[in-house]
Amino acid sequence: MPHRFTRRDALKLAGLGIGAPGLLAGCASRPEGVASWSMWSSSPEEAEVWADFSTYVEQQMRIRSVPNLTPSNGYPTKLDLQLVSGTASLVTAINGQLLPTYAARGALRPLDDLIATDPDFDAADFYPTIRAISSFAGRPYMIGFDVAPNVLYVNKTLLAERGIAPPSPTEPMTWAQFRELAIELNAPPERYGFTCTLEIDDLVSWIYSAGGNVMNADATAGALDEPEAMEAIDFLVGLFARDKITPPIANLIPTNSRANFMEGNVAFMQNGPWQVVNVRKAEFEWDIVPFPAGAAGSTPRVSGSGFAIPAAVEGADLELAWTLLKTLTSTDALNIYAAAGRNNPARYSAGSAFQPPPANVGIVQRILAGELAGGHPFEVTTNWNQVKQMLNQDLPRGFLGQLTPAEVVTGLTPRLDVLMTQHQDNVRLAELRK
Amino acid sequence: MNGGWRDLEEGDVAVQTVPRTTSPPGPPPPRRRRRDGQARAAWLFLLPSFIGFAVFTAGPVVAAGVISLLDWNLFSPPTFAGLNNFWRLGDDPTFWSALVNTAYFTLASVPLTIAVSLALALLLNRGLRRIAVFRSLLLLPYATITVAVAFVWIWLYIPTGGLVNAALGLVGIDGPAWLVSDTWAMPALILMSVWKGFGFGMVVFLAGLQAIPQQLYEAARVDGASPWQGFRSITIPMLSPSFFFVIVTSIIGSFQVFDQALIMTNGGPGTGTTTLVMYIYRTGFENYDQGYAAAQSLVLFAFIAVITGIQFLLQRRLVHYDN
Repeated sequence: MPHRFTRRDALKLAGLGIGAPGLLAGCASRPEGVASWSMWSSSPEEAEVWADFSTYVEQQMRIRSVPNLTPSNGYPTKLDLQLVSGTASLVTAINGQLLPTYAARGALRPLDDLIATDPDFDAADFYPTIRAISSFAGRPYMIGFDVAPNVLYVNKTLLAERGIAPPSPTEPMTWAQFRELAIELNAPPERYGFTCTLEIDDLVSWIYSAGGNVMNADATAGALDEPEAMEAIDFLVGLFARDKITPPIANLIPTNSRANFMEGNVAFMQNGPWQVVNVRKAEFEWDIVPFPAGAAGSTPRVSGSGFAIPAAVEGADLELAWTLLKTLTSTDALNIYAAAGRNNPARYSAGSAFQPPPANVGIVQRILAGELAGGHPFEVTTNWNQVKQMLNQDLPRGFLGQLTPAEVVTGLTPRLDVLMTQHQDNVRLAELRK
Repeated sequence: MNGGWRDLEEGDVAVQTVPRTTSPPGPPPPRRRRRDGQARAAWLFLLPSFIGFAVFTAGPVVAAGVISLLDWNLFSPPTFAGLNNFWRLGDDPTFWSALVNTAYFTLASVPLTIAVSLALALLLNRGLRRIAVFRSLLLLPYATITVAVAFVWIWLYIPTGGLVNAALGLVGIDGPAWLVSDTWAMPALILMSVWKGFGFGMVVFLAGLQAIPQQLYEAARVDGASPWQGFRSITIPMLSPSFFFVIVTSIIGSFQVFDQALIMTNGGPGTGTTTLVMYIYRTGFENYDQGYAAAQSLVLFAFIAVITGIQFLLQRRLVHYDN
C-alpha cells in the first residue's frame, strides 16, 4: 500500500531541516585527539602520496591520522574559512608565497620557541632558501617540505633535428647565448624558441638574475623601475614582442606554457622542476639545464612550501601539533615525497625527487646545495596576492606589445608604491600584535 | 438572567437582547477548522524557505552591512572603520573600471540575449516538426555549466586555428586575438554569454507566445492587419510580462557576471574585463579586505535595487497583464 505523505511527515522533515545545520556545524569542528593535517591534492597520484604520508604518521605517532585534502585551486579559500572558524587542522600546508600574508595577520603560530626547546629538531638540515621562505619578520612560521629553483627545460629532439648540441648541463648560458640559440631555433608557425607564462612568477627569475627585485631592500617602495629590473623586463618582453620567438599568446591562462612545450615544437621552457612529473609524458627527448645567467648570475626564483601550526592551536593540542609537524617534515616522510617524483624535498638528508633519466634532472639538488648555478628565495610581501594581481594584469600588455616595457612600469609603479606602503602598515600591525 | 432572555412579564412582547460576545460558544465549525489546519500546513511547508532565506540571504545582507563598517582582515579582530570603506571607493580606479566594464557588459549582453531569445522563440512557435528536439538542443547551452562553456570558448577564440577566426577567414576577415585584445576581449565575453544565456529567455518567450489567444490574430487579420502589425500590436504587448521578467532577471544576472571573465580573460588585459563581482571576490578573499569588499557589494546591491526599482515603476506603464 503506497505511503501517504501526512502532516506528521512534513513536521518530521521540517525538524530534520532545522536540525541539519546544527549537525553539520558539529561535524565541522576539529576532531579531538587525532593527528589532523591539511594539504592540497589535485590528482589521484597526489592523493596516493598523501595516503602514504598518513600511513607513515600513524606508524610513527600511534594515533589516527586525518588528512584533509583539497584541490589546490580551492585550498587557500578553504584554509581561510577554517582558520577563521577555528576548525583548521592541527597542522596545515602553506605555500611559501602566502606565508607572510598569513603570518602578518596572526593566523599562524611562530615556531621559534618550539624549535629552540626541541633538541631533536635539526633546523640546519633544511636548505637555506626554504628557511628564508619559511620566515616572516625574522621568525620561522613553517617547516619546509619542498623547495626548488626555476630551471630551463630543453626539447632535445628539436635541437637534434637542427643539428644543435644541447646547452651545458652545469654551466648556465648567458642571456645573449640563450637568446641567440632561441632565435636560431625559431621558425614560426612550425616551431618556436621559448615559452613561459606572462606572470610575475616567471618574470621575477629574470629580474633576480639581472640583480633587480620587485621591491627595494626594505620593501618600502617598488623597484621595477630600477635599471636592473628594467633590463630584465625589456629582455623578456623583447623575446615576445620584438624577437617573436614565443608561440602566439591566445589567452592569459598561466598553464599555457607547459601546454605549448608539450606540443613538441618549442625549444625551451622556463618552469619549476615540479613539472618534471608532467613533462615525463612528452613524446620527445627532453632534459633540464640551469636557468640562463644575467648580470647577477643564474639566480632564478626558488619557491617552496611547508607545514605550519594555526595560531589557535594551544595546550595539549600544541604538543601534538608540533610532533605531527616534525613527523610530516621528517627525512623519512620527505623520502616518501621524493620517491613520488613530484618535487624536491626541503631537507639535505632526504632523497632526490628527480632521478635520471633524463640525465640532468639531478641538478636540482646541486643547485639548491649551492654546487652549481644558483637561486634566489622568492621575496614576497604581506599583501602579495594584491601585488601579484596588479602585476599580472599590467605586465601582459608589454608582452602583447600593446605598451612598451617603460610605459608598463611607469603606469604600475605608483600603485606598486601604494601596495608597499600597505605592506609596511601590515608589518607594523604585526609587530604591535606581538 | 437566562441567556439573552429576561423573564417575561404579562403584556410584554418577547424581546431578544443582543449578547456582548459575537462568537458563539463551543468549537468552530468544521470548515474553519480545516482552513486553519491548511494555513498551518502552508506555513510549515514555507518554513524551510523562510529559514533558508533568513540564513543564506537576509542574514548575509545584514552581515555585509555591518562588515562594511569594519576594518577586518579575517584573522585579526575587526576594528570599527565608520564609513571609511565607502569613501575609499571614490579613490579606487579599479572599482570604477570594474563598474564601467560591468555596465558595458550589461548594456550589450542583455539586449542581444533578448533579441536572440525572442527570434528563436518566434521561430519555434511556428509549429516546426520535432519542436521538442529543437527546443532541447537550444536549451543545452543554458543547462551547461559556465566553467565548461568558458573552456570551450577559449578554444573557439584561439587566434590561429580557432573556429571563430577560421569562420571569419572564410569571408576574408582576419580575426583578432580575441581574449588578449584591448578592443575585443569584452565583446568576446559578451558573445559567449549571449550564446550561454539565450536559452532561458527563449523558453520564457515561447511560453508567453503560446499563451496568446489565437482569436486576437484572427480578428486582426479580419481587420486587414499585416503580419508585422500583428507582431507589433498583439505579440509585443501580450509578451510584455515575459519581456519584463526576462529583462529584470537578465540585468540582475549580468551585473553579477563572474565565472566567464575569471576563466577566459582573468579580468585582463589590464583591467579591461574585470567585473564588479570579480573585484569584490578578489578584495575579500585574495586581499583579505573584508570591510572594503562588503562596501563594494552593498554598492552593487544598491545599483541592482535602483535599476530593478525603476523597471518595476516602468512596468505599470509598459507591461500589459491580460486578466
